[in-house]
Parts: sequence; C-alpha cells; structure tokens
Amino acid sequence: MADYKASLTDMQYLFREMLPWETLRELPGYQELDAELADAVLEEGARFCEEVLAPINRSGDEEGCRLEDGRVHTPGGFPEAYQRYVEGGWPALNCDPEHGGQGLPRTLSFLLEEMVCGANLSFGIYQLLTQGAYHAINIHGSEVLKSTYLEALASGRWAGTMCLTEPQSGTDLGLLRSRAIPMEEGGYRLAGSKIFISAGDHDLTENIIHLVLARTPDAPAGVRGISLFVVPARQLNEDGSLGKDNGVCCSALEHKMGIRASSTCVLNFEDARAELLGELHGGLRGMFTMMNLARLSVGVQGIGIAGAAYHAAVAYARERLQGRDLRGARFPEQAADPLMVHPDIRRMLLTMRAWAEGARALALRVATALDISLEHPDPECRRDNHEFVSLMTPIVKSLGTDIGFDVANLAVQTYGGHGYIRENGVEQYVRDARITQIYEGANGIQALDLVGRKLPERTGRNLRHFFHPLQADLESWQQQPELHHLIEPLGKAFGRLQRATAQLALKGLQDPVQAAAPASEYLRLFGLVAIGQSWAQMAASCLQPESRPNPAFCQAKLDTAHFYMRHILSQSSGLFASIMAGADVLEAFDEDAF
Amino acid sequence: MAIRKVGVIGAGVMGAGIAAQISNARIPVVLLDRAGENGGPNLAKQAIGKLLKSKPAAFMSRRNARLITPGVLEQELELLADADWIIEAVSEDLALKHAIYQKIATIRKRGAMVSSNTSTIPLRALVKGLPRSFQRNFLITHFFNPPRYMRLLEVVSSEKTSIRGLEEVLHFADHVLGKGVVRCKDTPGFIANRIGGFWLQCALLEALELGLTVEEADAVCGRPMGFPKTGVFGLMDLIGLDLMPHILGSLCSLLPQEDALHAISDIPPLLSGLIERGYTGRKGKGGFYRLNVSAKGRHKEVLDLQGGEYRRPEKPRLESLAAAKSGLRALLEHPDRGGQYASRVLLRTLVYTASLASEIADDIATIDQAMRLGYNWRYGPFELLDRLGANWLIERLESEGIAIPPALKKSAEVGGFYKKKGAGHQYLDANGQYQKSTRASGIYTLSDAKLGAKPVAVNAGAKLWDIGDGVLCLEFCSKMNSLDPDILGMLVQTVADLPRSHQALVIHNEGPNFSVGANLGLLLFASNIAAWSEVEGLVKAGQDTYSALKYAPFPVVGAPAGMALGGGCELLLHCDAIQAHSETYMGLVETGVGLVPAWGGCKELLGRMSRDPRRPRGPMPPVQGAFEPIAEARVSTSAAEAREGGFLRPHDRISMNPERLLADAKALALSLVPKYKPPELFVFQLPGPSGRAALELAINSFHRRRLATEHDVRVASKLAWVLSGGEQEGPCTEAQLLALERSAFVELARHPDTTARVEYMLENGKPLRN
Repeated sequence: MADYKASLTDMQYLFREMLPWETLRELPGYQELDAELADAVLEEGARFCEEVLAPINRSGDEEGCRLEDGRVHTPGGFPEAYQRYVEGGWPALNCDPEHGGQGLPRTLSFLLEEMVCGANLSFGIYQLLTQGAYHAINIHGSEVLKSTYLEALASGRWAGTMCLTEPQSGTDLGLLRSRAIPMEEGGYRLAGSKIFISAGDHDLTENIIHLVLARTPDAPAGVRGISLFVVPARQLNEDGSLGKDNGVCCSALEHKMGIRASSTCVLNFEDARAELLGELHGGLRGMFTMMNLARLSVGVQGIGIAGAAYHAAVAYARERLQGRDLRGARFPEQAADPLMVHPDIRRMLLTMRAWAEGARALALRVATALDISLEHPDPECRRDNHEFVSLMTPIVKSLGTDIGFDVANLAVQTYGGHGYIRENGVEQYVRDARITQIYEGANGIQALDLVGRKLPERTGRNLRHFFHPLQADLESWQQQPELHHLIEPLGKAFGRLQRATAQLALKGLQDPVQAAAPASEYLRLFGLVAIGQSWAQMAASCLQPESRPNPAFCQAKLDTAHFYMRHILSQSSGLFASIMAGADVLEAFDEDAF
Repeated sequence: MAIRKVGVIGAGVMGAGIAAQISNARIPVVLLDRAGENGGPNLAKQAIGKLLKSKPAAFMSRRNARLITPGVLEQELELLADADWIIEAVSEDLALKHAIYQKIATIRKRGAMVSSNTSTIPLRALVKGLPRSFQRNFLITHFFNPPRYMRLLEVVSSEKTSIRGLEEVLHFADHVLGKGVVRCKDTPGFIANRIGGFWLQCALLEALELGLTVEEADAVCGRPMGFPKTGVFGLMDLIGLDLMPHILGSLCSLLPQEDALHAISDIPPLLSGLIERGYTGRKGKGGFYRLNVSAKGRHKEVLDLQGGEYRRPEKPRLESLAAAKSGLRALLEHPDRGGQYASRVLLRTLVYTASLASEIADDIATIDQAMRLGYNWRYGPFELLDRLGANWLIERLESEGIAIPPALKKSAEVGGFYKKKGAGHQYLDANGQYQKSTRASGIYTLSDAKLGAKPVAVNAGAKLWDIGDGVLCLEFCSKMNSLDPDILGMLVQTVADLPRSHQALVIHNEGPNFSVGANLGLLLFASNIAAWSEVEGLVKAGQDTYSALKYAPFPVVGAPAGMALGGGCELLLHCDAIQAHSETYMGLVETGVGLVPAWGGCKELLGRMSRDPRRPRGPMPPVQGAFEPIAEARVSTSAAEAREGGFLRPHDRISMNPERLLADAKALALSLVPKYKPPELFVFQLPGPSGRAALELAINSFHRRRLATEHDVRVASKLAWVLSGGEQEGPCTEAQLLALERSAFVELARHPDTTARVEYMLENGKPLRN
C-alpha cells in the first residue's frame, strides 16, 4: 500500500524562494511570518497529514459514511482525527485573530490544504466547507451573526456547509425553489430540499451551520431573486448553548464513485429558523464569495492528489523490478531492473512531476495575489491583484483538477495491474480526483467563466496582469543565455496564447458560440503558458545549482523545467490549431446524427 | 429676388439666436431692439455680447458676430430699408406686434418679406387690419430654440401670401439656413408645441399620479420610447419650467373647449412652487435636477417629487426597463409602474395626435417631421403608431375604454400609416388613400439611396452604395462609426474595384457622428495582452489604406456631419475634397488618449500647413502650426472653425442643410471627375532636432506652470519629434514621416499611462489627465 508523503521540500522551497517578499512584508499577516516559522508550520502539518490523516484514507474509503436513525456517522477514526485536527489549531490557521484565528496568510494555508487533501481528500472537504462558511459570514454577515458563529467556526467546534443544488437546479441556480418566509418576530422560516450537500450531516462537530440559497415570497424570478440564509442544524438558546433540532434532516446519503468518507447528503429543511446573510436578493454575491475561494481550494485539492500520486508512483517505480533496460541490464545482480529504467515509465514520472510541481507553483502565485488583494494597504495594488486572482481562478480550478486526475491516472498506469487492485491505494486517487473536476462549477463552466466573463471584462483588463508581467519576464530572461533553451519555447507558446486570445475576443464579441466552443482548449492553453511561466521562474531561481545549498534539488528543478518546455508546453501548438479552427465544424454536425 | 440681407426685430433669446444663425450662413443681418438704459449699449448690442458667450455656442465662428449690425428700433429703422426679409421676434403681444408691422410697412422695400416668430398667435390675428399689400408679403416663421441647433422651422402662410415671396423664404430657410421646413395650418401652437406641450404636461401629471421618481420617469419616457435621452423632466429643465404654464396657458386660451388639452392643463402646485422660488430649470437655480456645488465638489441632485427636497439621484430599477429592451410593446405591456407610465403617456399623446392630424397639418408625414426636428423624437407620432401596430393599439384602447380616433381605425384597415413602395415611401392621407411622399427638390439622402436598393458591397463594418451617376458612397456601420479592420478592408477593396464600374467615391453616413475615431477597444485589448506587433500592424494597415485612398485614380469626397475625430478626421484629411455639414466637429484628439495621430494625420495636417500661403516661409511655421492643434487635441466647434484651423482647405465646401449634404458631396465629386489626376507625392522640408528643441522649450514651460502632466510632456515631445522630422533635418518624404508616426505611436502605446488613458476614455467617454 502506497504511503502518503507530503511535498514538503518543494513547498518550503517555493515559500522561501518564489514569493514576492518585498510586497508581502507590507501585509499584516506576513509581518510576524518568516521563513523559519513557515518551515515549522509546514513540517508540523506534513507530519500530521502523514501520521494522522493518511492512515485513515483507505479505510475511510472502504467503510464509507453510514446513515443511522437520521444521523450520519463518518468512518472509523474520522471523529478522533478531527478532534486532533481541532486541538492542533489547524482550522483557525488563516482566520482572523479577532475570532481566535492565527491570522496567517492564505499562501500558507493553501499549502496545508494541499497536504490535507493529498493525504485524505474526504477529510479535507469537511474543513473546506467550514472555512467557506466562516469567510462568507465574516464578509457579508451582520455583527450579530459574526459574534454568534465566527469563533465556533474558526476553532472547528462547529462545521459549515454550502447548500445550493436542488434536484431541478444544478448549474442553473435560477431554477431553485427553496422558500424562506419572513416571520413577524424577525428572521425567516425556511423550507425546501437540497441535494449533493457535502458535509450536510456528520458526527465530527456538535453543530453544523448551513448556508442556504432560497427565495423569499416576493422575490423576482431567476438568479436575481435568490437570497442567502444561515441555518444552524441545532438552534441556539439565548445564552448561546445548543437548543433543539432546527428542522434540518438528512434523508439519504449518496453512494459515490469516490470521496466515500465524505458525507454527501440529501437535506430536507422543514420550518427551519433562518437568518438572512447579506442583502435580500443578493444571495448570489454572498455565495460567490465562498465559491471563488472554494474554486481555488478545489484546484489545490487536485494538486494535492497529483502530489500524492506522484510520490506513490516514484516509490513503486523504484522498488518494483520488472524487465531490463533496453541498452542492457543496469542491475545484473538482481532478477530484473527497477521500473524506473524504462523510458515510458520515466516519461510518465516526469510528466507527473512537471505537472504537479508546476501547478503548485502557479497556485501559490495566485494564493499570494489573493493575500495581497485582501490585505495590501494600497487600494490600486489590491484591485490589480484581485483582477489577477479573478482571471486565474477558473484556470487554477480547472487545470489543477485536470492535473490531479491525469496524474492519478498515470500513477495507476505506472503500477500496471497492481494499480487496479484496491488494496494498493492508487486507484482511490483516480476515483477521488474525479469529483474535483465536477464540483464547485464543472471544468467546462470554468472555461466559460474564463472566456465569457474574465476575458472580455473591461476590454480585457484582467488579462493585463498576466500578459504584461510575462512579457516583462520574457524580455529579462532573454538576457540570460543559460535560460535560452527554456525561454524560446515559452515565448512561442506566449505568442500563440496572444493570438488565440485576440481571436476569441474578436469572434466572441460577434457571436458568443465562437468563444464558447473552444473555451476548454483555450483554458488549457492559458494554463500551459501560465505553468510554463512558473517553471521558467523556478528555473531562473535555481541557476548555478552547484553554488546552492541544495544542488541536487536545483538541478532537478532545471531538468524538470526543461522537460516541461520540451514535452508538455509543446501541446500548445495543437491546442492553438484547434482553437483557431473555431466553432464551425462543431456546430455543423447534425444533432440527429448523434 | 434672392435674400441677401435680413432684418430681425427683437433681440431676446430667439431673435438674437435667429440673427446669429443667419450670420452663420454668412448673410448680413440687422438686429434691432430698444435703446440701452442710462446711456448703456443698446439691447441688440448687448445681445450680441451674450451670444458670443452662450453655450452651446450660437456662432459657428466668432467672426460671424461682425455680420450682425445692432441698432435701436425707434431710431434706426431705416437699417431695414434694404432687407429682403424682416423677421419680427418680439414678445407675444399682439398690440406691440401690430405697432411694429405698421412701422415696417413704412420703410420696407417693395416686395420684402415679413414674418413673425410667434409660437402661438394665429396668422389671421396677426394680419388683421393690415393693408393687403402687407398681407401679401407676410407669413409666420416659427424657429425653435436654440435656432442654430434645432432644425425645425414651422411656416404658416395664408391664401393671400405671395407664392413667389413665400418660396424665396422657404428656399432661403432650407438651403441657406439649413432648416427643416414644415408647413403648418393656422392653428394654435401649430404642430410641434401643440403635441409636445400635451406630451410634456401629460408626462408630468402621470408621473405625479403614479408616484414615479424623476429618474424613473426619465428612464422610461426617454430613450426606450425614442424620446430624447434627457427624458421629460430633463427636457423641461432645458426648456425652462416657467415656459410650461406659459405655453399651456396661451394654448388653452385659443383652443376650443372640447380639446383634450383642457382636461390636463392645471399646473400642479409642485411646478408653480418651483417657479416661484426661482427654480426655473437650467437657466435658473435648477429644476427637477440641479447641480449642487459644495466644498465636497459638484454633484447632480434630483428633486423628490413627493417631499419636494433635493437628493442624490438613484439608478432606476424597474423590471419594465429591462423588458423595454425587447421592444416598445413589451414596455407598454409591463404591469409595473414604469410600464403603466409609458402606456398612459404614450397612448394619450398618440390618440390626441391622431385625432387632430388633419386639423393642424396637410399630412401626417409633416407632423412626424415636426416632432423629430422640433422635439428630437426619434420617431414621429405616426411612425410610433405603426411601430406599435394599429390592431394591437385598438385592442388596447378598447380595453381601457378610450375612443378610437377615425384615422387610427382607417390605418388598421389598410395596414399602417406608412408603406414602402419600390424606391419611395407612401403615407396615408386624410381620405384613407396612400400618397407618395414628396420633399423639397434636390434633397437626396443616403436613406433615399438605400430604399429598395442592395449594397454594392458589405462587411461587418461598412457598406458600399451606388448613389447614381457613377458615384459610390461608403457608409460606416460599426458601433459609433469607430474605424476598425473591417472598414479599412472595405476601403482597400473599394480602391481596387471602383474604377472598373464607377468614377468617384463619397464617404458619408447618417449617424449622429461621422466617426469618433479608431476603435479604441481593439487597441486596449491588444495592449492588455501585450500584442505590440499587432498594434503596429493595425497602424500600418491604416496608413496603407489611407494612402491608397489618397492616390487612388478617382476623386474621393468626404462628407462628414457631427464628430470626425482621430482616425475619422485623418480619413477626411486624405480625401481630395471635403463637403462638410456646417455642424462638423473635427479634430486630431489622439493626445487625449496618450497617443499621436499615426494614420497619416500628422503628415496630412503638416502638408496643409506647409501649403498654406498665409504662413511665413521656412520649415518651422508649418511644424508649429500642426503641433498646436494636435498637442491640445483641439476640436473645431463647427465646419467654419475647421476651415479657420486649416483642416478644411479653400476648395472644401460646407452644407448648412444635412439633408442636402450627400447631394452636394456627390456634385462636388462629379465636378472633380473630368481630367482627374491623383495628387503628387509631397516632400516636406523639416527642421529636425533644432525644431524639436524649440517646441520642447514650450512644452517644458507648460509643465513648469503645471499646465501639462508628465505624460502630457512625454506625448507632446513625441509629437514634436514626429512633426519636426525625427533626427533628420531637411527633406522628408511622406513614407519617412509615416514611419515616424508609427514608431512614436507604438512607443507611446506601450506606456502604462497611455493604456490608462485609453481605458478611461472607453469607460467614461472623457479624457483622463494623468
């Protein structure tokens, strides 16, 4: 069975070498944070994930959640692990000190999330939803709501959920039907049925705070009539102690392909007491605050699985002896050479590594921009970084999760037949990763968000924060001959991305279908170039490896960067050709012929 | 006898404005009013002073003021002795008017026409008791305020009016003053104010009754219905709130008791209260809107119709407004208060109009034209009726128990007030027969050319039309007529294809603006993705296209109206000749967005300055002459000013009447066809770095005085570099100058301050000073 190993060295390197520390020093959360503290937090986190969360990953998958007498029970070991998680103070890492949080930057908490989800995605989902509820109430909530809920959510004493989906209303939220009726004494009574509610019920916490989208009786039709409500599973007494059940009932658990230790519930709300969160009919905005953060987090989940799957595949390729090196036995004293010597195995391992490390570096860049967009004293700097994050969110979500799935799949392939056997654990990565491409906005929706909203917004202003720095990077790298073999292909791919972007913007203005049809390929092209930039940045920071404290690490970075530019970024020309071919062939096909 | 001199009596707002418009046509005019008090300048002289300061400007060129001779009515009446047309524009006091007519009768030259600018008094009342010979030369000519900008002229004549004299006035008003002349029957308020007054009053009362806010009412009863975007309250502020009761009062005193206006003619206390307190609209302390100037800056405020207090405006949120996007009917059918409002105001106004059509005008087309030109309605009332559909409307009116006007019934039976037939329009007359629309001779617009025709060529940005006699007309069809690769492509194709089948090209369109310039959105998007080579490619494509146009083997005439800015102005500068509407606003405004003209604009303006015989000799004066207007992004406020600024050359011409612009341009193009030879390549003599240094001295002094920002300095220096010929002194070819333009443009485009300016302009429609 594959042991989980956190990508600690890479994370520590990124944190030390790749962050714009000059800017970050101006942020409140970073002022106390130095590389030593970050190292310590990451090391402690890695130990917790490896020792506490990873061991219950496969057992949780086998056992799954149970619904008994209307209550959901998580698999064995989960309540105890959660207890230790809370005791370690992990939930509060990036929460506001005012609510008992540690106020550490998201850049750091994203890395921890990656480890948690790599070790045990099901476990990570409970925590993700609690974080989402915390931030939504913190940003949109009244003082009363904040003082009622935030401390308990920050500490992890209570958990949270996001209740959007209904049987008839998935991606199209305009169709939702749950009702919230105002009461004379204040507040609302909420009724309706929600499906696919992650962490909808469980035995990890004493209370669960549901954030629910519903309509008030006089609300306009469509998405403009949706409001967001806070509905605790158990009512709160005047003194803050827990009261009776609030009419929220889990009527069924979904049986799923993966993340089987995460409880996915059908929730019925009957006459549940609810408080309005944010503005009446402004529910979508409140929900999007959560969604945007959650989308980045889901991208990070994918990267977490990619990291875990990569380490598992490397370990297996080292120890599994099978066949001989094509140029002659490398270890004649053994019965066979290790898998590692085979070119196709090396191709898979390098592909996995280049994707996982590249995506991690990109996600970290976006996380850092998120911190700056929230905390920087200069409003212009906040706005620019917010625009960058908004542009990159669909890319990190979509590409990060595609990478998670692809890398998990390659890990199974590396294992061969043994990868297909459940007790070896790698097939679980494939099944677990699969959901990340679907939830929080399916990846096709992310692509539409990119081409339909992020790209044309303010005549392409969001793009400026990606294209201009990359153009400047390219110009400065051109002065470094030792980077030339990396920069030439990156420059070409950048040119393709520029032309594809112009084409999509022009055609999309005239006909949205022309932009929508190649949207997924465009997102991937964008992501390829963005990860290429991250690889070039890492390579630039690892030049002259022999003079550095960790020469082997730096050499490996340079070599992986080279692999990425030669063998992965080259996909950009195929994507480019397909994008430029437009929507015509796709549209011309007769629907009856399908 | 052509009209060569005009007299205007009464130097109030209308009289003075009329005199100014006559001077704009370069016709001498005498303006008479009372003597000044306490030995001060006479009222006419004072009025000219006010005209020079008025906004929007009354004069197309300040020089025109000299064409107005001010005088004192009591003492200098003989100034009118040689006038061919005398316009009385004194206050609406019949006795006063009669006294003036008596005086005029004594001195006017034989056959000179006399008209009154009355807005309400019927002709028969005006001429009562006057000698037959005077009546023969008398008519009503009702101008709208401000006379330079409002094209409507309502004309009332009687059977006694001399046909020849009438035609002379009509011809002069049409060709020389550029008016849209509408013949009215002799009824109170004539056409536009009769309907417009009813409409405004109805809109005011219904807004109060339905409890709409001012913003809501203006958002509904404005653009969605094809009314001016100010909306009704904004329009009342513009007209003057005090004029509302005045117009209504005088109309009601003259209209028969059964007229529907009486039922709504009470002035609401809110309005009279405002007027009493001096809130008479924009000319007073404010009206339904006001500008609050405080220490915190200037901000717009709006009157709360319930409380009567001013407050910050709020963006109206009505579902009916969203519904209006799918059509006028959808707005009228919407149940919310916006829909109800739209429905009540429009239906009542249209029913009123339909019921009195034959009483006030010879035909419905006249009424529609009056409302379009006099109240800036996008569609006249009968066009609106056709848009709504007579059957739909009748059903609607019946359900509300409103009597159906017979004209509407008739139109439902035959299928509309208008129909297209072949290359012409027909309208429904009072007897229920369709009649061919007729207009003054020589009017030929692009719409006329398009009727029943197919474009010779078409793409997403432009269309090419055959306008007869071997002339093609290229029309822009892009948003705001901004110039984009599609338009350039059409130009290139036209240059290549035209000689095979045609002999000349006119570039013209009927949009409110000829062109606001190159499509900045494309530039901004390309800048945002750092696509600098594409930016340079776009600049080069424009230069190549305009050069091809200039050196094409056939004459090209640009026929602009409204704004012709940036790339739109550069296109005109490359034409063989320009036939401009008098209201043409030309300028090379690129520096406003941190750029320099680079589609040959620097080159062409420099060429005009170099060839101008009035400029001193030597390489520097032309450079100086081109530098100033470009660096300041100066825009002419009229075609006359464009001529003074050197953008129009002596052989370029001006049309006062926009409906005659295309025909004039076509005639000009045809006049160039015989023996046409493309211009020869020009070689400039430029001062080089020493010339640039001289300009930079001036730029830096502006900077020191804080009149120019750092980026202004950067842009102006780049402009100086281009215009002075770069690093080289002496001869400079057109191609070399174009290369300088290109290089300066791309360098500036890459600067983030330029990107910020471009973005700000696109988003706010005004320049950013950074």
